[in-house]
Amino acid sequence: MSRFQKILRGVVLFIGAVAFLFPFYYMIIGSLQTAPDPTIAGAFPNPSNITGENYTAINDRINLFQGLLNSGIFTGGVLLGTLVFGVLVGYALAVLQWRGRGVTFALALLVQVVPFQLLMVPLYVLIARDYGLSDNYLGMILPFAINSTAVIIFRQYFLQLPKELFEAARIDGAGEFAVLRRIALPLVRPALITVVLLTFIGPWNEFLWPFLITKEAGLQPLAVSLANYISNVAATAANPFGATLAGAAVLAGPVVILFIVFQRYFISTDIGSGVKG
Amino acid sequence: MTTLIENPPRPVGRARRILGRNPLGLLFSAPYLIFVIAVFAYPLIYSIWISFHDFFFTAPGFEADRPFVGLTNYLTAFQDPAVIRSFGNVGIFLLINVPLTVVLSLLLASGLNRIVHFRTFLRVAYYVPYVTASVAVVAIWLFLFNGDGLVNTVLGPLAPDPSWLINSTWAMPTIAFFVTWKQLGFYILLYLAALQGIPKELYESASTDGAGPIRSFFSVTVPGVRPATVLVLLVSTVTGANLFTEPYLLTGGGGPDGASASPVLIMYQKGLQQGQPDVAAAIGVVLVVLVLVVALLQNRFAGGRD
Amino acid sequence: MKKRRAVAAAALIVGALALTACSRGGSGGSPDDHGPITIWYSNNEQEVAWGKQMVEAWNAEHPDEKVTGQEIPAGRSSEEVIGAAITAGNAPCLIYNTAPSAVGQFEKAGGLVDISSLPDGAEYIEDRSGELSTQYQNADGDYFQIPWKSNPVVIFYNKDIFEKAGLDPDDPQLSTYADFLAASKTVVEKGGADYAIWPAPTSEFFQMQFDFYPLYAAQTGGKLVVEDGKATFDDSAGDGVGEFWSTLYADGLAGQEKYTGDAFGDGKAAMAIVGPWAVSVYDGVNWGSVPVPTHDGIPADETYTFSDAKNIGFYTACVNQGTAWDVAKFSTSLEQDEKLLETTGQMPLRADLLDTFPDYFAANPAYAEFGDQAARTVDVPAGPNTVQMLQAFRDEWSQSVIFGGKDVTQALADAAAKIDDIAKQP
Repeated sequence: MSRFQKILRGVVLFIGAVAFLFPFYYMIIGSLQTAPDPTIAGAFPNPSNITGENYTAINDRINLFQGLLNSGIFTGGVLLGTLVFGVLVGYALAVLQWRGRGVTFALALLVQVVPFQLLMVPLYVLIARDYGLSDNYLGMILPFAINSTAVIIFRQYFLQLPKELFEAARIDGAGEFAVLRRIALPLVRPALITVVLLTFIGPWNEFLWPFLITKEAGLQPLAVSLANYISNVAATAANPFGATLAGAAVLAGPVVILFIVFQRYFISTDIGSGVKG
Repeated sequence: MTTLIENPPRPVGRARRILGRNPLGLLFSAPYLIFVIAVFAYPLIYSIWISFHDFFFTAPGFEADRPFVGLTNYLTAFQDPAVIRSFGNVGIFLLINVPLTVVLSLLLASGLNRIVHFRTFLRVAYYVPYVTASVAVVAIWLFLFNGDGLVNTVLGPLAPDPSWLINSTWAMPTIAFFVTWKQLGFYILLYLAALQGIPKELYESASTDGAGPIRSFFSVTVPGVRPATVLVLLVSTVTGANLFTEPYLLTGGGGPDGASASPVLIMYQKGLQQGQPDVAAAIGVVLVVLVLVVALLQNRFAGGRD
Repeated sequence: MKKRRAVAAAALIVGALALTACSRGGSGGSPDDHGPITIWYSNNEQEVAWGKQMVEAWNAEHPDEKVTGQEIPAGRSSEEVIGAAITAGNAPCLIYNTAPSAVGQFEKAGGLVDISSLPDGAEYIEDRSGELSTQYQNADGDYFQIPWKSNPVVIFYNKDIFEKAGLDPDDPQLSTYADFLAASKTVVEKGGADYAIWPAPTSEFFQMQFDFYPLYAAQTGGKLVVEDGKATFDDSAGDGVGEFWSTLYADGLAGQEKYTGDAFGDGKAAMAIVGPWAVSVYDGVNWGSVPVPTHDGIPADETYTFSDAKNIGFYTACVNQGTAWDVAKFSTSLEQDEKLLETTGQMPLRADLLDTFPDYFAANPAYAEFGDQAARTVDVPAGPNTVQMLQAFRDEWSQSVIFGGKDVTQALADAAAKIDDIAKQP
């Protein structure tokens, strides 16, 4: 590629990146403004229009910190379930031969296809009524406890590992569990990070299910409180738009930071192992 | 190239026939299987059952008649023009979103793959929309695409009237562009990973043969990431067919005469707001079947040997 | 292989069905049980204040029957939340935000207590609300909701904008369609408002209560949209209302896009069509109010409107139903109704409101209009399919009136036909 083409490519990508980031930039600016300014000038920070009061306004109505905490517990629970049990299944699907292996894999695929809204109410009846888990973190976590995409990723990753490694361990007399723990797990660490990043997004941003299952405002994750705020309360704030953006910025913050920190692991782990087939 | 896996003690005879060569696999998978049965299979079967009965949800312990009604719910659902329109809307959405996603994400991934400077910034930039909640991003888009928002101000006389999201021709395409933009980061990542697997030698030999960048893109890159393309097609189709959050948030329940309603949105309205979970379940079952059919077709035609 | 797969699938299904066996039975409460209860009230700031003081007042005198109050965990509409709570069996005893449109659905689901079955149920309701109580009965004449408060819908107008446009701020001439349209044009052209009036143009089923219904009620002197299982609005009155709004949208006098925030409060719209709950929101605006317009103008003291009532639902999930009924009566007593008026400005659904609280209305003449209007309100039709009917109406309205994609008369006729069908369902 000629130098000119390289520069052109860089410029195009840069413009694209700016276009992608622009709404977020606008979100931060908007959250710091006293009054929303839809003109072009409003896109550039105007020192006289800067204020932190949108953040306090929304924090008065919905406790941002409590919301973040609940989001953290919800997401953490899902991550735990997915990492622990997902690895087990992924290993079993990839490495072991057993009855029901095909059915399980088919199920993991089927779970992706069915929309959650179809299952939502029967699931709600099951979890809230039959198991009695409403207004409960466990009830929130349960439908998402083991992410099926993660299972598929783990399976693909284990499939890529050379079988000779496992064979060698078995010939040495190791039981299956030991093989998993001593050989497979250390190797799969990159896939673990991939799964963490992919699985994090779902429950962190989920607002429909936690909204149904929790009645107490103190238990609701931030995505739910924010959605409620936008629907109902925003109209009564002094700068409803700014307050909404302030809440949105708080919700988006941790995820973006997490990704920036971990993104280099993400690229190099090659979920490509999953897509090469 | 599969090598036989040697295991020490194994169940013999009848036990082996029932449990397979290594029943430990079943044990390892048990938590996941129980989970899927409880949280997925049971509600799914229940929903399918609901779709064939005259059903509404009741307080616990309250007796209600639930007669079997065969295909009545399906007929009710599909004689409603709003439902038909919503399937059409999703079709429009997929026609815009899927090709755009595949093309853009591959192009951007190829570019990002080679870039050396500002790599982290650029990759993060494209990924950020994907990781933020729709709830958060929608507020910004509503502001930008408002009747007198920034986009219309910039476009001036070119701005459509009525404005984007209340325009019955433009509402669904606007949502399609929004979702494409938002999801692109995920697919760029899938392609980026796949691109790592194309051996450099292929590009070198292509350039020695005299191929320019465009030519080598089509003859080396595109075939090389074929499995990724299949995956991107499948995931974007499934996600698109199940579209709910964006119509719900962007157009507050269906937009100008249902021009941006999606089947899942209608399911939500009928099931939760109007107390008609039986009709909602019927719509859901049809949707799932359609998606499975499309997925199988995609696999057949685009999947090749994988 | 196929056979074994089938066996595996069958095993899964059996396992799934087995899980259903662990459902708990319904919890029973009875009107004789007394003890602590939970209640929900709306998340409107003033109502929350009223709710808290009511709970405190009760708890002070009944330490063994403590009430825990909390704001309703609301989404766009409370029906989803309450419906889900009924299904799960964890609804609170009383919800002070039960919309009459959903009561039929909740009754059908077995979620509501039949208040007429209580020894003093019907008597208490009719003593308090008089004539207004009949429209809150179900088809059999029983009460499954306690009428609580209404927000009679009127037209608020911004006196400053009207003055700037050259109209008389104290006598704005808004009582006939023709006058209203003329004034609307003027305020947009000369008054500096973006729109004359800006009701929410979105498709939720309840929005029709704030554009079509109030004017229809006024024009017909108090007709409901569905009576005796048939839609009523497919007549000249209904068509007239449709054409009126259609002109407003077509001429750019009403906004077709939703405004984030309150358009009237922010000065973007010169008028609003709301009830007295909005007064506290509009304290920065110099507002006046008039009844909704009719075709040829009807005197203010004869005009009907939509009530926008919110009632008290009494839910079967309640264990201590005796206490719940006592609390319901306590919270609708003369004293508490007066506090409701003072704290929120919303009208208790009482007979003879102006005579019952003369001091309040003397001290707050701005509210006297609402107090008077409260005696002439209509509410949504009763029955289990009301939400569906209103949604069918809204869909046709949106297509024809708001977005001009269909002929208004035809749209109303189609909506009426659909609603007649819906009304036939059990």
